[in-house]
Amino acid sequence: MAQIEFDGDGFLVNPGIWNVDIAVEIAKEDGIQNLTEQHWSVIHVIRNNYLEKGMAPMIRVICKETNLKLREIYELFPLGPARGACRIAGLPKPDGCV
Amino acid sequence: MEKLSQEQIDKALKILKMPADSKLVTHLNACVHCGLCADSCMYYKSMKEDKFIPARKVELVASLYRRYCTLTGKIAPKLVNARDLDEKMAEEMVDILFGACTLCGRCVKHCSIGVDIAYVVRIGRQMLAAMGLVPATLQATVDAALTTGNNMAIPTEEFVDTIKWMEEELIDEMQDENARIPLDEKDKNILYTLNPREPKFFPLSISAMAKVFYAAKESWTLSSTMYDVTNYGLFNCNDEEAGIIARHLHDEVKILNAKMLVLGECGHGSRANRWEGPNYLGMKYDFDMITVAELINDYIRSGRIKLDKTIIKERVTMHDPCHLVRNGGLLNELRFAVKSAVNDFVEMNPHGNDNFCCGGGGGQLAMSEYNDRRIKIGEIKAEQIRKTGATIVVTPCHNCVDQLMQLNHHYKLNVKIKSIGEIIADALVIEK
Amino acid sequence: MNWYHWIALGALAICALVLFAHFIRLIRLGNPTDYSKKSGSVAKGVAYSSTVAMIDHKESAYLHIPTYFAGMVYHVGTFVSLFLFVFFLINIALEFTLPLWLKWILIAGLSISTLCGFVLFVKRLLVKNMRNLSNLDDYLSNLIVTFFQGMTIGYLLCPCVEAYYYIFVSILLLYMTLGKLKHVVYFFAARYHLGFFYGWRNTWPPKKVK
Repeated sequence: MAQIEFDGDGFLVNPGIWNVDIAVEIAKEDGIQNLTEQHWSVIHVIRNNYLEKGMAPMIRVICKETNLKLREIYELFPLGPARGACRIAGLPKPDGCV
Repeated sequence: MEKLSQEQIDKALKILKMPADSKLVTHLNACVHCGLCADSCMYYKSMKEDKFIPARKVELVASLYRRYCTLTGKIAPKLVNARDLDEKMAEEMVDILFGACTLCGRCVKHCSIGVDIAYVVRIGRQMLAAMGLVPATLQATVDAALTTGNNMAIPTEEFVDTIKWMEEELIDEMQDENARIPLDEKDKNILYTLNPREPKFFPLSISAMAKVFYAAKESWTLSSTMYDVTNYGLFNCNDEEAGIIARHLHDEVKILNAKMLVLGECGHGSRANRWEGPNYLGMKYDFDMITVAELINDYIRSGRIKLDKTIIKERVTMHDPCHLVRNGGLLNELRFAVKSAVNDFVEMNPHGNDNFCCGGGGGQLAMSEYNDRRIKIGEIKAEQIRKTGATIVVTPCHNCVDQLMQLNHHYKLNVKIKSIGEIIADALVIEK
Repeated sequence: MNWYHWIALGALAICALVLFAHFIRLIRLGNPTDYSKKSGSVAKGVAYSSTVAMIDHKESAYLHIPTYFAGMVYHVGTFVSLFLFVFFLINIALEFTLPLWLKWILIAGLSISTLCGFVLFVKRLLVKNMRNLSNLDDYLSNLIVTFFQGMTIGYLLCPCVEAYYYIFVSILLLYMTLGKLKHVVYFFAARYHLGFFYGWRNTWPPKKVK
């Protein structure tokens, strides 16, 4: 991934270049070797929300649209929805204490 | 970095030239460069680069003071290392004062003279803020709070939906239709506050506190707009912006006519409201502000909530948030709350007033530029945790929680990180 | 009185006046105004800050016992030397003879403190971190004060160096007004402000961990 630029926190500098391969690579860095269907459902919800509204969705929206429970999402992404899922979905780092 | 304009320089120097009281002059004249503060700083301890020694951080600001505010510095700048404020200096200041200090204040306690080093670093940050040189990532978090009322720019509608969702979960769990998370209700005893990362990504701590309030039969409310307990103005050190943000909660207490403001689990937010807020606004508040930990102490002591220590079987340790303990005096309040909920409690070494920062304070969590340093200094905290043998780390600060979550992952600690509200909710005995 | 006595007296007056002016400026600038609701006691915080806090579980002390000890002895030596200087001046009129045993105790003690000062100087010079932290004033201040203690020993041993002694003390007193040696005033102010800050917030005096 030499040509892909990340910020100091490992978030994509240019979220526009995101693709499935990049997601797989970032996930591996986080120790997620295989992205399951459940992972992808979360990633797509986040990605679509970002493209539509310019920001990460609330966790409530992720739960609602994927039919996953909160705890399941935390288990899928050990670094949490922000540093885990949003990073894999190619979003810029959210502001605040994350 | 672009060349500094004279206007920028004048604005920055005004902070040194117009001291409000004797504190600034004192701390800028007191350091004797003994260097004994080095080992108290996580940055120096982890990376052993001498630019991270706290005295060097003081020196950046003090050398400007000497250059522009003392006779010796004006006549013989070389003698006392009096430096000009130029681009090179500003760049160094940004890198060190923003990028290599969590404002934890541990060095202050250990300084052989008694220089309030964290205070001097904040003065340096104030100067950078006056010149418009706050790192963009940190400023973005402040700007979000200024424009939307919360630092993650959560739209009100989405916040309300999340709260309603948590309320449904609470009703389910308590099997009581009257279990509530009140929003915008007037004349309540308590206006409760949150860190925006709770509604955005980690809402279980909201339902945990709602459960505690339910058990205590508290009269409380959340605001649907001004609920953000954080104030990154404390970190970008633009006091004017910090004041605007502090006013949000002050005014909301008035609008909702609450008796008391309860500061959610956030170290810097508690400090920014409880200790700095009245000073930002230049007035005393006519209502009380207490932290969640203090409130829970009251509940336990007065018997309003009952806890069963046998529910949590795991070993528990606690991380002391710097702004609640060393800079906030709540050493035993935090311990009383946690120890009332668990049996197997073990302290880190060192702990309390002497505790090491999680590594994510001072705005570090928001500043991606310095991420590598943040993870590196966090190793000290990770090893502290590992040595306790605990499997649960409690900390009443969502900023610390986020940093600890990353350390947990990065240094493979295999622990759970919980807020005080969550650990209390876990041990809660609900009497019907 | 000789001419060098007058010079020393003049230097002492200038030094005292300048330091006093610094002190008065601090007083005039005053305490920070704190609108937050006080939780602890400023008086107790300042009392702790000015006494026990200096040794109470302080890393700058217990992680650096040799340096800390040398620093303490060095400072005691400095104050003894200053005290002797004032005594010598007054003694021009009193003409009191120091008992021999006291003289030798002072010489022995000051020899140790002079050595401490010199060791601290060498440390500043040789340790890279210290060198990078230091400016010319740091070295000069350290040297002048160390030399001042040495001169005091010399004068105690042999009154023949009297003129050199007074001239040197004059240089020291004048130099004191320029650089870091002013910390004789600001040290106490810093302890005060720290006690104020931690006392107000109920961190100091520290509570026992329950």
